[in-house]
Amino acid sequence: MHPATPPTAGAPAGRDHRTPLSRRRFVRGLAVVALAAPLALGAAGCGDDDAAGDGGPVKLSVFWWGGEARAKLTEDALALYTKKHPDVTFEKTWQANQGYFDKLATLTAGGNPPDLFQIDDNYLAEYAGRSTTLDLGSYRDSGKLDVSKFPKSLLEYGVVDGKLAGVAAGENTQGLVYNKTLLTRNGLPEPTTGMSWEEHIAWAEQVAKKTKVPGTQDPSADYKALWVWLRQQGKDLYQGKELGFTVEDVTTWFELWKGARDRGATPKPDVIHEGNSSDVTKQLVVTGKAATSWVWVNQMPDLKKNTKDELGVVAYPGDPSAQWARASMYWSVFKGSKHRDTAVDVINFLNNDPEAVALLGTDRGLPSNMDLRAKVSETVTDPAMKQSIQVESELAQKFGPSPQVPIKGHSKVKSELTKAAENAQYGRATPAQAAEQFVTACKAAIA
Amino acid sequence: MTAVTAVAGRRRPRNRQALRLVVLVAIVAVVLYPLIWMLGTSVKSPTEIVNNIGLLPEEFTPGNYAEGWTNFDVSFGRFFLNSAMVSLLTVVGNALSCLLAAYALGRLRFRFRKAWFTVMIGTLLLPGHVLIVPQYILFRSLDLVGGDWPYLPLLIPHFLATEAFFVFLMVQFMRGIPRELDEAAKIDGASPYGVFRHVILPLSRPALVTTAIFSFIWTWNDFFRQLVFLSTLEDYTVPVALTLFIDSTSQSAVGPMFAMSVLSLLPVFLFFLAFQRMLVEGINTSGLKG
Amino acid sequence: MALTTAPGRSPRTGPVGPRPTRRGAGRARLGEGLAGYVFLSPWLIGLMGVTAIPMLLSLWLSFTDYDILTPLSEVRWVGLANYERMFTADPSYWHAVRVTLTFALVAVPLKLAAALGVALLLNRTWRGVGLFRGLFYLPSLLGGSVALAIVWVNMFNRDGAFNSFLALFGVEGLPWVADPDWALQTLMVLAIWQFGAPMVIFLAGLKQVPVELYEAASVDGAGTWRKFRAVTLPMLSPVIFFNLVLETIHGFQGFTAAFVLSNGTGGPVDSTLMYTLKLYISGFTDLEMGYASAMAWVFLLAIALITAVFFSTGRFWVHYSDGGDDS
Repeated sequence: MHPATPPTAGAPAGRDHRTPLSRRRFVRGLAVVALAAPLALGAAGCGDDDAAGDGGPVKLSVFWWGGEARAKLTEDALALYTKKHPDVTFEKTWQANQGYFDKLATLTAGGNPPDLFQIDDNYLAEYAGRSTTLDLGSYRDSGKLDVSKFPKSLLEYGVVDGKLAGVAAGENTQGLVYNKTLLTRNGLPEPTTGMSWEEHIAWAEQVAKKTKVPGTQDPSADYKALWVWLRQQGKDLYQGKELGFTVEDVTTWFELWKGARDRGATPKPDVIHEGNSSDVTKQLVVTGKAATSWVWVNQMPDLKKNTKDELGVVAYPGDPSAQWARASMYWSVFKGSKHRDTAVDVINFLNNDPEAVALLGTDRGLPSNMDLRAKVSETVTDPAMKQSIQVESELAQKFGPSPQVPIKGHSKVKSELTKAAENAQYGRATPAQAAEQFVTACKAAIA
Repeated sequence: MTAVTAVAGRRRPRNRQALRLVVLVAIVAVVLYPLIWMLGTSVKSPTEIVNNIGLLPEEFTPGNYAEGWTNFDVSFGRFFLNSAMVSLLTVVGNALSCLLAAYALGRLRFRFRKAWFTVMIGTLLLPGHVLIVPQYILFRSLDLVGGDWPYLPLLIPHFLATEAFFVFLMVQFMRGIPRELDEAAKIDGASPYGVFRHVILPLSRPALVTTAIFSFIWTWNDFFRQLVFLSTLEDYTVPVALTLFIDSTSQSAVGPMFAMSVLSLLPVFLFFLAFQRMLVEGINTSGLKG
Repeated sequence: MALTTAPGRSPRTGPVGPRPTRRGAGRARLGEGLAGYVFLSPWLIGLMGVTAIPMLLSLWLSFTDYDILTPLSEVRWVGLANYERMFTADPSYWHAVRVTLTFALVAVPLKLAAALGVALLLNRTWRGVGLFRGLFYLPSLLGGSVALAIVWVNMFNRDGAFNSFLALFGVEGLPWVADPDWALQTLMVLAIWQFGAPMVIFLAGLKQVPVELYEAASVDGAGTWRKFRAVTLPMLSPVIFFNLVLETIHGFQGFTAAFVLSNGTGGPVDSTLMYTLKLYISGFTDLEMGYASAMAWVFLLAIALITAVFFSTGRFWVHYSDGGDDS
């Protein structure tokens, strides 16, 4: 918004054809009266045409979610940047993921979002679609943002509507984590990458019979599992602005897992519900309520902290080329930032400076810069982290092309999937009914 | 007061009193069980937190307290101080401003009083979540967000009686004060200000104490508004800081979080104990002296 | 004593006008009117400056497609579309209405009963009563903290404390929090468990009952029950009324417990999707703040209606010592 433009006059004229002019005028008038003072000033906060002039001292606001460990690493890396660029200091805000996007949205509404912020694929399209994020394409082309060492698919997973909306702060991919101790103790085989879904379920049934611990969490409510499975069927989660699947696909998916439940391969619905939480401490593989959990590979070290048992990790069942180099999270720059150039330079630094990348380690996922990833992998000492890096590096050989970034409405699609799948799990709907319900809700959500 | 109790005590059979105590203790035990569980969990190790849901830890881990206290760049004590400051100032603001408004709405007669009362009740009814964003925009446009002392947007509303709950509470309490007292004071020549000073203010103690207790506790626990308006670690308050322990997608320091949660109950509990004494010495001892 | 009379209403001349006094009626009225606005001024400033603007803004937004991220100047007026969608095209909206009604109808009366019961038990003055009050208030001190969610789930899941208790009687319990048929009930238990706030208000109200009334009743030979009926209840009625109104509003707005227990999802299978939780999810998670605002205003109207009913029935059972002025 231009600071000089009166707030309410800034609306494109004739955008709403439905309302008669007089009423629209009246309402706008009302709005002006009610909002004049706050808006005039609020608008001034988001001037975006004085972005240049990064000459003098710059105070860059940075906002991310994470735990204390991430905060320390990030602060160290940013301090290193200041050391190299004494003109640039940072206003750092960090919090846990609870409430992060609520706050980010509120800050954006108030016209003062942070210059540089962390975002994930749930919201990237939402923010990019509203022109909140700066298109980093020109920086990529000019080389100010060096992505030459990035895996191609990882970079592409930050492109929304042809614009580079976010740069991966780290890479991860889907990982099936299993309880090694439990399997070894009972003389059971470990799951392997490439085993089919049927084989996985049969294996899980065998585990359940032998150990009395259900072999696998039922992932039918988990969008990332459904997504991999869909890609193996030649489908996708999204295709352009549409869904990339049909009711029949989802029915098959739900039936697959109904079969698994009927065979006793999975826990009871209430336990499945517990495990459906994204919370690390509630994953059934650490609570001991199932032998495997469906997570992201880079969550291994955090899972390990919550259990005494040894853990192992492989790809999701089926052809692993359905998995891709996913940006676990991105750095994005606010379009209206006064210090965009600096912000982009900081992103470049966090991704490509050997010292910074060494400091950050694998906290946000594997480093995006492949050369530096190799270096970091050599220095890692945490065995669980070592394991996850190893598996991800193996998988990297098999990764397929990345899908498009999830579209606007994705958060709703995710929650609707959970609802529909749980309906089927609790026996309140047949797989077909649940699938129908899900697809109908999705269509409304992305419309 | 003591005389009254003594009389009541003598008249009541002893076993009945004992029965009441037994009933009370039984209810307290049930009510407090979850909190005792919380206390137990605050001294469990990380793996036990996930796997042992019993009341007591197998391996006593008091280190959670030290760890929680020093977990961040800023000591947890800082968050306690921030919360205490915000909560106490809120208490002052609410008690002052709401009492004034309540006296007007509950006791005085002026044009549009009924209308204002209705508006006041109306402001209670809108779910707060749709107000967060507009409020943020408003405060930001008034240039009150951030800055060296970012608590202004959290405090200013409380000095302007915007918490209608307390206004309504005090109105209801004031209506329990016999109007004869006002009339008597007026006959003695007191103005509305005099009546407020000499009749209403002394007799509003139960309402003021109740307001103080709730203001303190609710502010102490308020998460969302504090999260939105506070942006640097040094300024964070206890509820915001408590969520920092758990980033559900990565690390989760549940033990230290429970330890700090237990600690964070202490100030409010003590505040309550201190202030509820004043409830005990309510109107019936301060009497109808007017 | 005038106080002991039934909740009588003194005759008044006008709806709002001051009661005529014998001396200097005109000047007193003017003085009191001015004083009224003087005392009201902080609240009025707060209303105009802090409360009204966001409220009006949200009303306006309820007719737009506001998504938080788009600047206010660019939001699009959509007329009644949000309201239409709510009433005709969003089944989960009506589901949330049902959940909320069920919750409020059960939890509010039980919570008030628990609060009043315990307040009566704790009203007497005896050694240690303060500690007991504190202990009963402790659960409410937790508010909606992160710890509470973990605590509650561990009380009411399959191998939780509640089921261990049931097992003593040979009853096999259910996974209450994770069962779509029972999750809402555990939420109600949580709400009732945190009965501290109305309890304190009842206690404060009980303290306001003049001892003289009980003494007078004792002289008349009234027993405990009779004193409760004839003195406590009528004298406490303004406070009961307050608690009833506020807890009803609070019950309908019940957000924290549902948010905390379901991790902000309203699950399992929307069984704890309270109205305000649905509103929050729409506004912040789905970024449909215009739609959420519409929900909020429908909510306001509905609660206003209920509150109006309370106020209009209040005159039949609420006894005001100030002479039963208008309510």
